Amino acid sequence: MAVAGFLVFAGAVGLLWSRNMVYGLLFLAMEGMALTIMVGSTERLSLVVVAIMAATLAIKVALIPGSMFRVISRWPTEFRQDQPLPFWAYPVAAGLLLAVGHVIELLTPTGIILHRTLFFYGLASVHLGLLMIVSRRHVMSQVGALVGIENGLVVLAASVAGALPTFMEFGMLVDLLVAAAILVWMSHRIHRQFKTIDVVALRRLRG
Amino acid sequence: MSIQYGLGPLIVIVLALLGVWLRARKIALVIALWVTMVLVVTAVATYSQVFHGDWQDILLLVVTVLATTSAWDSIWFLREHRGIRLERYYIWWALFWGALAAIVLAENLMVSWVAIEFSTLASGALVVEMGNRRALEAAWKYIVIASVGLALALIGIIFVYAGLRFQGLGWETLAYSNLSRHYHAIAPIVRGVATIFIVSGIGTKVGLVPFHTWLPDAHSEAPSPVSGLLSGALLGLCLVTIERFVAAVPQPPTALLSGPHLLVFYGVLSIAVGSLALLVQRDIKRLLAYSSIEQVGIMAIGFGLGTPLAELAAFLQLVFHAAIKSTLFYLSGHLSAVYHSKRLEKITDMAKTHPGLAVSWSLGILALAGIPPLGLGYSEWIMLHAMWETHQVWLIIVLSLALLVTFAALTYHLLSGLWGGLNFSQYSSNEDNKASGDSSSTAAFGEEMA
Repeated sequence: MAVAGFLVFAGAVGLLWSRNMVYGLLFLAMEGMALTIMVGSTERLSLVVVAIMAATLAIKVALIPGSMFRVISRWPTEFRQDQPLPFWAYPVAAGLLLAVGHVIELLTPTGIILHRTLFFYGLASVHLGLLMIVSRRHVMSQVGALVGIENGLVVLAASVAGALPTFMEFGMLVDLLVAAAILVWMSHRIHRQFKTIDVVALRRLRG
Repeated sequence: MSIQYGLGPLIVIVLALLGVWLRARKIALVIALWVTMVLVVTAVATYSQVFHGDWQDILLLVVTVLATTSAWDSIWFLREHRGIRLERYYIWWALFWGALAAIVLAENLMVSWVAIEFSTLASGALVVEMGNRRALEAAWKYIVIASVGLALALIGIIFVYAGLRFQGLGWETLAYSNLSRHYHAIAPIVRGVATIFIVSGIGTKVGLVPFHTWLPDAHSEAPSPVSGLLSGALLGLCLVTIERFVAAVPQPPTALLSGPHLLVFYGVLSIAVGSLALLVQRDIKRLLAYSSIEQVGIMAIGFGLGTPLAELAAFLQLVFHAAIKSTLFYLSGHLSAVYHSKRLEKITDMAKTHPGLAVSWSLGILALAGIPPLGLGYSEWIMLHAMWETHQVWLIIVLSLALLVTFAALTYHLLSGLWGGLNFSQYSSNEDNKASGDSSSTAAFGEEMA
């Protein structure tokens, strides 16, 4: 389970670091695969667990990265790359990872954390996903960041609760599928209407 | 009741698809009639409970009334915006309605979360249906910001679940009734962290300051019948969800960042920002959106104070605001259509040119400004009374000032709209005047209105 958690964390680092959208999708698929294995290793195999594994595999490895790739592959090459990560993002990322260590120290006495290492991987992935949303400018990077945050949440949940109830697992999966479908559709429309994939172009409305 | 609610939106989807298949032009009318029928059934089923003050039935009735008015207004709206694809509009609309009903009926924190998330996605897709660039931008910001907020809320929910995992109840662990019975088994620090995440995360969907940045954009760019539901129903329901959690999982009185503290803090920020922003608005729907921020701020303070009188005031505020704001959003859509603009300086001489709309608009704005006996004045008075009882002098000062500014700003905009007698500054940013190219007629219309 710790290995699967590490793969999700490595995927989050890869997503943040990678400028190439196609590499980013590979990292997302890797996270999905790791989560599928984690679901299988957390609980005793039953029909429900197999169904959750199958749904995770279908949604997080095939459907979401696949639909994103389908849209990206229609765009000219210059739209398949994100801007370089701004310099400030590196120290912020380091600070966020250190903050996770502090949270672990704070929560350990309460007994809520079952697996400290897994907790680190989960919360760090969530933090890196949030950082990616504010530091990356490509619309697809933001979609990937949201999916990455949700993946991190699954690892976090496993570290504190062992396994989530079936309703929660399916609720999160379906929600992610619908959200990703709508955002990918919107990314396609943004590219078509704004002739760019840079979220900086979305600045006519200012809160 | 749940089955009836599942059936209500489902039949709308079926009717919308049938309408396209049969090319029936009057399908919007049939849908409105069906939703009205659901309202009648709901009113009959909840009649006795509503008069006994059952909050859940009252909210259910409010949601159904708003859905009905929204369905009728959609007929008019779709006639004004012929570029919108009817079947897609009604499918998302029905899902949004279903999500709103699910938020009311949820007895479990996780079900509430899923329903709120689906309401975001369905309403976000409805904003995109407007087809213009501004709507696309607003919808993007709305979905991304709200999703991040709800992801944070989910961290809080996971912590609460983990705190009670020893019960081995599965998802029933997160039932509000179970939480209120066993909250003391969760370590205080875990409860505190979860509360911060849940109040701030779902608070993003409520539009509480400082998480409000998506709200004026999304509410102003959404189709008007949807803006009415977003502002009138969704904001209040999300706030009630926070209140249900805060009431079920209280914290020690000594806790610094408890749920009530956070609600009062965000509420004060919201009424300050919301009321001041009203003064400088130049867009009719953004004016209403900022007013919503101010209104949810008042409700948040009421729920935060937590006394029976303050909660009654907050609840009344929610119900009155739902009725008034949804009506105003519908009217703003029609005013924008007849004036071919959403700019307040262009919507003038209403009293002469469109007297019917002018009377309705005036009544709505005066009600929103808190003029008695038009509802909100009554609930705001009770709120001030509740603050006085709990010796919250600073809150009384802040709320009084905010209400004064709100009254001044709304009456200023109302008088200008009715007779155009006041001079607006000729400010008009080049950016807003630039029409952006788009192929569909709806998009062109939307850009023109922008």
